[in-house]
Amino acid sequence: MSRSTHKKEYEIAIIGQPNVGKSTLFNILTGRKARVANWPGVTVEVHAGETDFNGSRIKLIDLPGIYGFSTLSLEERIARNYILSGRPDAVIVLVDSLNPERTMYLAIQALEMTEKVVIGFTKSDAAHAHGVHINYDLISKRLGVPVVPVSAATLRGIRSLLRTTIDVAQGRTGRKKPLRIDYGELEPYVSSVESLLKQYEDRMEYPIRWTALRLLEGDNDLYKYVRGVCGEDIAEEIAKVREEIKRIFHRDPAELLAKKRFEYLQRILGDAIVRLEIKKGGFERFTRLFYRPFIGPVLSLTILLGMFMIAFTINTGFPLNILLDSLGMHDAASAVEEYSIGGLMEKLFSWISSWIINSFGESWLTDLVANGIISGVGSVLIFLPLIMIVSLFLAILEDSGIAPRMAVSLHGPLSKIGVSGHAIFPMTMSLGCNVPAILATRAIPSRSERLRLLMTLPFIPCQARLVVILAFASSLVSGYGALLVVLGYSAAFLAFAVVNKILYIYEKKKTGRKEPEIVLELPPIHRPLGKVLWWHVWDNSKHFLKKAGTIIFSLSILIWFLVNVSPSLALTDDPGESLAAVFSHYLSPIVYPIGIEPGKAWIIAFALLIGFIAKEAVIETLTILTGTASPQQALTLLGLTASQLSALTVFVVLYVPCIATIAVIYSESRSVRHTLATIALMLGVAYVAMLITYGLSLII
Amino acid sequence: MNAYSRTVVLEELPSGSRARIVEIIGRGGWIYRLYQMGLTPGVIVDVVMNIGRGPIIIRVMGVEVAIGRGIARRIIVEPINT
Ligand SMILES: Nc1nc2c(ncn2[C@@H]2O[C@H](COP(=O)(O)OP(=O)(O)OP(=O)(O)O)[C@@H](O)[C@H]2O)c(=O)[nH]1
Ligand SMILES: [Mg+2]
Repeated sequence: MSRSTHKKEYEIAIIGQPNVGKSTLFNILTGRKARVANWPGVTVEVHAGETDFNGSRIKLIDLPGIYGFSTLSLEERIARNYILSGRPDAVIVLVDSLNPERTMYLAIQALEMTEKVVIGFTKSDAAHAHGVHINYDLISKRLGVPVVPVSAATLRGIRSLLRTTIDVAQGRTGRKKPLRIDYGELEPYVSSVESLLKQYEDRMEYPIRWTALRLLEGDNDLYKYVRGVCGEDIAEEIAKVREEIKRIFHRDPAELLAKKRFEYLQRILGDAIVRLEIKKGGFERFTRLFYRPFIGPVLSLTILLGMFMIAFTINTGFPLNILLDSLGMHDAASAVEEYSIGGLMEKLFSWISSWIINSFGESWLTDLVANGIISGVGSVLIFLPLIMIVSLFLAILEDSGIAPRMAVSLHGPLSKIGVSGHAIFPMTMSLGCNVPAILATRAIPSRSERLRLLMTLPFIPCQARLVVILAFASSLVSGYGALLVVLGYSAAFLAFAVVNKILYIYEKKKTGRKEPEIVLELPPIHRPLGKVLWWHVWDNSKHFLKKAGTIIFSLSILIWFLVNVSPSLALTDDPGESLAAVFSHYLSPIVYPIGIEPGKAWIIAFALLIGFIAKEAVIETLTILTGTASPQQALTLLGLTASQLSALTVFVVLYVPCIATIAVIYSESRSVRHTLATIALMLGVAYVAMLITYGLSLII
Repeated sequence: MNAYSRTVVLEELPSGSRARIVEIIGRGGWIYRLYQMGLTPGVIVDVVMNIGRGPIIIRVMGVEVAIGRGIARRIIVEPINT
């Protein structure tokens, strides 16, 4: 029975080794969805998207980047099972033109599984600049597989790739059978396993030869499967064959087979690829500095710090305003503050609020809109530019390939607290948002390190918490405001370091594991692609706007009601008699130890409670509760001392970031215990740190 | 003369040297990752940078890879004179 050639819908899988450019291509083909970074292993979930081509509907599946098809990692398992499921009509295997010798390895393995393969050579625009010249036709002829050079940057070859893929799906071109590599002296062993499996052919879901090879490579998942299908005896026979290879060759069969595959690849690619020596660019040579001791870490930290400084200044005038102020240029300082993006937006929102009250008169409805919704949502929205700028900087680091170099430079210092350089990527992402950062830990090879990071990454302040710190800082005299920001971040990284260290020491005692290790590919440095940068900025902004438009919006209304309605459900002007006050009265004692009087304690307690849902909400709760227009006024009205503000800042930075983070910690650890332990840990650490901060600041 | 007499571990190779991998010692997930990245016996690696501490930067199959010292200690290589 032949596959219908009239079929109008195709399901196509895209696979490739990490960092070959799958997500970029996928985004070009389907409109943006997947995350792009010049860092191996970014895509950890499966993304699906659709596109139309010549009247056919193509459903594309972006699978995680994998080095091979063992079942080492969850990602490899996902990709393998999907390809073997028989669902995809064709598989596009992407190979990096800058690095074909290595990245073709996956294509070879895919071809051993299925014949429905198209090979796409990505980044073809950059190949010549890197001195790589590829004879695509020769490779295609030798493998019997269509090969298409593509570029997401110039859009070259995109249509041709789609056309060829459909041809392969329809069986009009490409191989008729999976690839058979000659494994030389190992062939007798492969055939003996094959013949053992042969009798069960109709019951096996997977191709026989491929299964035989994988079993010899020691694939445990598959071994269990075969034991189930073929019975204990056959499984034992197969295990014996494997043992025999080990005995005769004194080598792990996995190693022997990998070596054979690379040798085969060498025969295919050998004279089809010419590499000309290209002098390393000045910038590339500069990046070698990252590998130097001392200079490397200092360079990395300077870049990160500089990035945040610039972002802060553009958005809030801080810390430039303080610098000018201390130089005695007070007018310039306040101008910088006033005309920073944040300052301008704040003006806009308070203007809208008063316009509403002036034009529609004072009523509970205008009060809800002006003092509830607009000041609530507005106090959060003023931070949108900050989020865009920070996202842009982080995107530049990621897409240029500087980020993995920073990982190498900071591997040494980080090892001291038990995490490897691999952790840098999730750590910098945490500065933006903890949720994707926690997903990004999947690319970390060590499982125990990953579990520790799931518990400790949330200590690193995301942009939402930055919003709160900055709002607190704005209520202090400028010099102290700067100190408060420094305090917030120092407390966060200190907590991150100390807790990691303690968990690591505990783990080392229990399992005797040694220092953290790193094996990380360093992709070539390149100028970031404009498109890719924009995707990042837009994704983060969209996420933030969505949050402001939904969660923050609803919370604003809810908080307004809780604050303006008394327990007897009548409107009240005195927040002290409101539902919120009565309710949070019970929570107030938690802030007594830092000397906040009961009259105000409930306001703080209530804000902290709301902060569980989303951190930005702490600010809007304070503005709504105090009936003020800006966070600055709210805090002035509350009359908190510098010591109290410092203590609160530390608490806000360290306690549970938001509901979404908790949800993703649960979905990644799949353990209620781990999730609850994380919450308890964060609350405990935050509370103790708050008391310590308060105590210390009183002494100073 | 013993065939292994000239072998050293990757960790000991200075920057700029070239070597052929003889063996990778050990077990566990790391080793498969190394195989998949092209680090199998017989393959030639160039040491881009080894400054005695921190990860070692090597080039294998045209790609630069950073390798922690603990792992580099388990990769047995045979230096090639250039
Ligand atoms: N010059 C050039 N660079 C590209 C092209 N496509 C992707 N890149 C760059 O290659 C890097 C990796 O891109 P991604 O799309 O994140 O790669 P991926 O295969 O999805 O990676 P993982 O999800 O980590 O497995 C990024 O720095 C891109 O900017 C291209 O066509 N030309
Ligand atoms: Mg990707």
